[in-house]
Amino acid sequence: MAKKSATQSPKAGVKPKSQAVNGTSAEKKKDGSRRKSAEQPTVEKMDVDNQEDLEEESSEEEAPEANGKTEEPRSDESSDEDSEGDGDSSDASGDEGIGHIDIEAIDDSESESELDSDDEDQGAKLGKLQDNKDDEEGEDDDEEEEIDVDELEPEDEEDEEQIAAGTRVRQTINNKEALLTSLRRFALDTNPKKVPFAFHQTVVSSKRTEDSIPSVEDDLQRELAFVNQALEAARQGRALLRKEGVPFTRPTDYFAETVRSDETMQKVRAKLVEEATAKKAAAEARKQRDLKKFGKQVQVQKQLERAKQKREALEKINLLKKKRAADGSANLGATEAEDLFDVAVDNELNASGSSKKRKSPGDGKGERSAKRQRKDAKYGFGGKKRFSKSGDAMSSGDLSGFNAKKMKSGSFGGGGGKKKGVKAARPGKSRRKSMAAKR
Amino acid sequence: MAAVYKSLSKGSSKEDKEADSHAAAERKNKQRVLVLSSRGVTYRHRHLLNDLASMLPHGRKDAKFDSKSKLYQLNELAELYNCNNVLFFEARKGKDLYMWFSKVPNGPTVKFFAQNLHTMEELHFQGNCLKGSRPILSFDGAFESEPYLRVIKEVFMQIFGVPQGARKSKPFIDHVMSFSVADGKIWVRNYEIREVERAKGEAGNDDNGDEPDKKPSKGGPKGGKDTDINLIEIGPRFVLTPIVIQEGAFGGPIIYENKRFISPNKIRAELRKAKAGRHVARMEQQRESLARRKQLGLDDGKPKKEPAGLDTRDLFA
Repeated sequence: MAKKSATQSPKAGVKPKSQAVNGTSAEKKKDGSRRKSAEQPTVEKMDVDNQEDLEEESSEEEAPEANGKTEEPRSDESSDEDSEGDGDSSDASGDEGIGHIDIEAIDDSESESELDSDDEDQGAKLGKLQDNKDDEEGEDDDEEEEIDVDELEPEDEEDEEQIAAGTRVRQTINNKEALLTSLRRFALDTNPKKVPFAFHQTVVSSKRTEDSIPSVEDDLQRELAFVNQALEAARQGRALLRKEGVPFTRPTDYFAETVRSDETMQKVRAKLVEEATAKKAAAEARKQRDLKKFGKQVQVQKQLERAKQKREALEKINLLKKKRAADGSANLGATEAEDLFDVAVDNELNASGSSKKRKSPGDGKGERSAKRQRKDAKYGFGGKKRFSKSGDAMSSGDLSGFNAKKMKSGSFGGGGGKKKGVKAARPGKSRRKSMAAKR
Repeated sequence: MAAVYKSLSKGSSKEDKEADSHAAAERKNKQRVLVLSSRGVTYRHRHLLNDLASMLPHGRKDAKFDSKSKLYQLNELAELYNCNNVLFFEARKGKDLYMWFSKVPNGPTVKFFAQNLHTMEELHFQGNCLKGSRPILSFDGAFESEPYLRVIKEVFMQIFGVPQGARKSKPFIDHVMSFSVADGKIWVRNYEIREVERAKGEAGNDDNGDEPDKKPSKGGPKGGKDTDINLIEIGPRFVLTPIVIQEGAFGGPIIYENKRFISPNKIRAELRKAKAGRHVARMEQQRESLARRKQLGLDDGKPKKEPAGLDTRDLFA
């Protein structure tokens, strides 16, 4: 479409109006231009009711202006055309503002509003317009978007006029022609035939990345699409560069300053390690928790099993007893003795019961040897060994060793005993003399 | 006198250069980028600027630019530094960042609103690349679809693409810069190209075509025939919303304007308004209910309170 626009005359901007009148598609966007063209006698193809519809639409569509995309004080009659045009643009903004991403549609609307803004010199163009009308009918909507650079200049003047008239129209601009001219002016030549790839190293992917993004909000999908785009470009670029003999891979012994410093990379690595260890620890903890839970389960299982065993044993006993009771009436005499002691039940239990129970009595305790028993009787077996030699009620109550005579004879109350002992041992000197004299 | 002579000789040499530049225009890609910010950038903007500057060996980082209204002064500044590109970070309100990409002497200028900035440092990606190695620029297919996107692509190509033989550039290629269009915005990513052992399954399915061609160019540093590429992100990340394209450098007629761009101020205002609206609605409701009650004679407006005899205040007065 760009090429077409290039071929068109500077007045091409007015053409779309005629096209709009022909009313092929996107009527909503075109209402403004239609009404304008209706003011001109030459372009009156539209029917009246359609026009009314459109007017209603445009009045509705002025509401979205509140969201602030286009602001203009629409006031006096002189700016009628402009305000209509603006209604048009606001229409588009209202539509697009909601956020669907049809660039094409945006451009349509934008260009429309632009075109509407420069209807000052429409009168001059009318003749031409009529001429062009017929052969333009076949052209597609994109044609409407085109504006020449020459047209842009009068626009500015118009702006001033509008400002003077007290209206300010914020235009939405997509001047493709000017964009292309500008591009041509500064673009580098990237023609693959003339210029080696290493000159620009630019890869334009064949497909639109946006198509592979289901939702822009979805970070993962979006980034994946970006990576895929870059990866494709990298592969392509590498192939081209290799073909041109440009060194691509950095050799391992080539050291140079990197964009991110070693410290940063160290930090990144440390963070990675930390994350990994944290993850590991978490996994370990979880495992431990699970094990604990499992251990408990095992315990419960065991208890249940034991209870079940017990129940089964009881059931068996009951069953046996019943059976006995039923049989007992028949052969009472024969089994009476056994019946008394439930020997059969014991037998049954022993037979069916766990081997453990049978084993444990046989293990040793029950069958102590005679010698052992005697020794145990002699030296004692088991029981507390502490305080066995300390006094107790029995020992303190035992008075067999008491002798009253002994208690009186001394050795108790030391002073008297001593005196007595001393006297008995040796009388005084005079006494001894008299005793000797007597003898 | 010497200065005059110099300028004169320069002028003449410039003419000469122009003359032969026409011949060598195809071959020579001379780009220099002036990278600078306005005052009032946040640390994040500053770090992003540093990141970008570190990736542009043909860049010239300058001090903060003082003015926000007289951006045309940047043209002179760029001329002073022999730069033909300007990457200007304009911060507003200490939070919003606008990025200007401009071809200096005669345009165009593209203004973007930058969002979702993540600097290299805060993104803990494992990728790394040589400072000043030339990137492969990967553009979305959508860049060819629209004239304004083509202009943007060309500008990116000249600013982010390191020209061949740039002074501080490194001879190997180890990163890709990718530009994708999604949701009407341009998403910029930077990946390291890491060569890995090719898995056996995919050996020679996509590189099959150039496999024979690679052999003559084996004079390169590494044969590397059986390596595959994988990408590891380096950072930074940011998203650019094109706002306006001017024909000149920081001036001239506007040749593209993005109507879908809503200024962040407006968004904030709307949010505030919505918040205020809630309060207003609540007050309105209150008033209405009060009025209704009054109308029904249920309420005189102020709550009546019987003086209770056993009120503590009365009891212990």
